Amino acid sequence: MLLQSIKTGIKKGIETTWMLAKIIVPVYIFVTILKHTPVIGWIADLFQPLMGLFELPGESVIVFVLGILLDPYAAIGAIAAISLTPMQITTLAVMVGFCHSLFIESAIVTRLGINIFMASGVRLGLAIVFGVLVGKVGAMLC
Amino acid sequence: MLAVIKEAFWGSLSSIKTIAIILIPMMVVLQIAKDYQILDKISNSLWGFARILGISKDAIFPLLVGIFFGISYGAGVIIETSKQGNLTKKDLLLLVIFLVTCHGIVEDTLIFVVIGANGWLLVLLRTIVAILITMLLSRRLSASELGGIEGMEKK
Repeated sequence: MLLQSIKTGIKKGIETTWMLAKIIVPVYIFVTILKHTPVIGWIADLFQPLMGLFELPGESVIVFVLGILLDPYAAIGAIAAISLTPMQITTLAVMVGFCHSLFIESAIVTRLGINIFMASGVRLGLAIVFGVLVGKVGAMLC
Repeated sequence: MLAVIKEAFWGSLSSIKTIAIILIPMMVVLQIAKDYQILDKISNSLWGFARILGISKDAIFPLLVGIFFGISYGAGVIIETSKQGNLTKKDLLLLVIFLVTCHGIVEDTLIFVVIGANGWLLVLLRTIVAILITMLLSRRLSASELGGIEGMEKK
């Protein structure tokens, strides 16, 4: 039975890795190419005031938006392609951790008969509050 | 341009490699936990935790499944458990509010640790915040509970 569990686990691990690769690789390539165009500079300037609240560079807005709309894996693809400090990555991870895959997960929550706007609102609120908190404290410590 | 494509290609491949190294062993551990019904055994000893959160004892198992295996599994078990009629409406609301805040804690945390985030901070923050929010909501529901349940019964 143990051997069977290990086999199933490895199979699931490979399947999940493959599924993730299909998300992470395109996002990584997209962000890397974007990084070499002037567009990344425009995004960075435009979102600097907003992302500055979390002590993050403007272009990291891409990470958060990808996390909310798609999933944490897309966010990770983008984080890996942008250069950030460990503290900034932790702040983004906290934000994306609280609030991600809103469309998919809301669809699941709806099946349980819970108001999705309440659930999504709570998650977005937590992401912002703790994003600011971790970002500010982190900036103070580093 | 060629340099950019090369950077994108090798960079993304090395991200996938690090993720595979973490993810595959983790899936093996989770699978063993599932096959040997380890969560079933743990949930029997967690009635104190259930009381703190204000959920019934039957809600503990779906909660643990959601925390460790992710929201899809958690929702599946919640639906099954409520079909057996063991969950109250309050349980259901509290379970969902806990799980949307904190779920799939092993996988979600590890993939961020792989790219350089502080894992302990992630785990502790999400778990503690989820517990606090659930407790808060639980108290508020308790205050208005009597009226709500009587009202439902009259219908």
